[in-house]
Amino acid sequence: MAIKLIGFPQSPFTLGVVLTLNELGLPFELDPVTDIKTIKTEDFLANKHPLVPVLYDGDFVIHESLAICRYLVSKYQNDANVLIPDDLNKSSIVEQYISYEISYYFPPLQKIIYQEMYNRRNGRPVDEAVVKQALEDIGKVLDIYEKVLEGKDYLSGEYSLADLLHIACAQFIYASTAHSDIFEKRLNVKRWIANLRNRDAFKKTYA
Amino acid sequence: MAIKLIGFPQPPNTLRVVLTLNELDLPFEFESVTDFKTIKTEDFIANKHPFGKVPVLCDGDFVIHESRAICRYLVSKYQKDAKVVLIPDDPNKAAIVEQYLSYETSYYDPPLSKIVYQEIVNKKYGKPTDEAVVKQALEDIEKVLDIYEKVLEGKDYLTGEYSLADLLHIGYAQVIYTATAHSDIFEKRPNVKRWIDNLRNRDAFKKTYA
Repeated sequence: MAIKLIGFPQSPFTLGVVLTLNELGLPFELDPVTDIKTIKTEDFLANKHPLVPVLYDGDFVIHESLAICRYLVSKYQNDANVLIPDDLNKSSIVEQYISYEISYYFPPLQKIIYQEMYNRRNGRPVDEAVVKQALEDIGKVLDIYEKVLEGKDYLSGEYSLADLLHIACAQFIYASTAHSDIFEKRLNVKRWIANLRNRDAFKKTYA
Repeated sequence: MAIKLIGFPQPPNTLRVVLTLNELDLPFEFESVTDFKTIKTEDFIANKHPFGKVPVLCDGDFVIHESRAICRYLVSKYQKDAKVVLIPDDPNKAAIVEQYLSYETSYYDPPLSKIVYQEIVNKKYGKPTDEAVVKQALEDIEKVLDIYEKVLEGKDYLTGEYSLADLLHIGYAQVIYTATAHSDIFEKRPNVKRWIDNLRNRDAFKKTYA
């Protein structure tokens, strides 16, 4: 198989890449990392990147989940599955929402995920004050998303890479925390999340 | 003038757009924001940026916000007429640029923006600097720059050739040099130091930071 992905199977970063591969209809092999110690081998150090996910496409190697997704889109996107539109103005609006995910959406959710998944899994106490603040922060962000999504099923109007990049963290909140109300109580956001979870590629990724 | 940029004049997120405009040799009008109340009005939030933030770029009728999205827009539209290639056309080369663009947002920006926030923004508004946050952020950026030191071995730029990835790194580096006492984090690593010197020596950099 030409495409091989190495990554922690539960990580939102790995799942974002898997979702992209599935949206683009691309076959691939997933080589799951289960122990962080295995990723500090010479092979990884030689490639100067101690982190995962990493994608191999034939001889080409690329890491950083967003860079991997962008590479897959630029190489394999076709008319049937457009994740970044060709039209300049439309693609720029998609880029705007990709930036929202990095700047405003991910940071508070990352804190909640770190406290409630990582700490709990490693037997460390959950810092409830951090979770409380992060929930306030993501609440304010989602209030703005509620306005952005007025009359729209997706952030830019049509499904794009920007929407895709949001769903992995959202799914984690639904599946592994008691905080799904942050999405469920905002009607446009709830509709958006429901649309994303209803896509074939999503169901295949999270089967 | 077709291109108008609205923003606070000092912060890296405005200056990275200015640097991109200058690298692409694009004339533009700069509308300086001096009072952040002006970007929190209903009109601004409805028409320019729903989070009430800057920079915002207007290119004719087209309005776009989020500094890195603005930079990408400018590259997509105007690179073909420019002397510089900020994102290569070749998909594999572009992917490596994207990798380093991801480094910038994931590993480089977060600790540096904490240092800048504590030592410059807090100070400006009369709030105390949290030294523990600065100390941790310095430890974090040092580990990141150790990796950059290896990445830059035998190279002047991250991918080998100047790209948008290098451009987006210089804004915070410049703040650290000019407004903090921490420039040693760059200066003590020979490859990183050479890289920063190259970036600060570019015509577009000098024009931006004149």
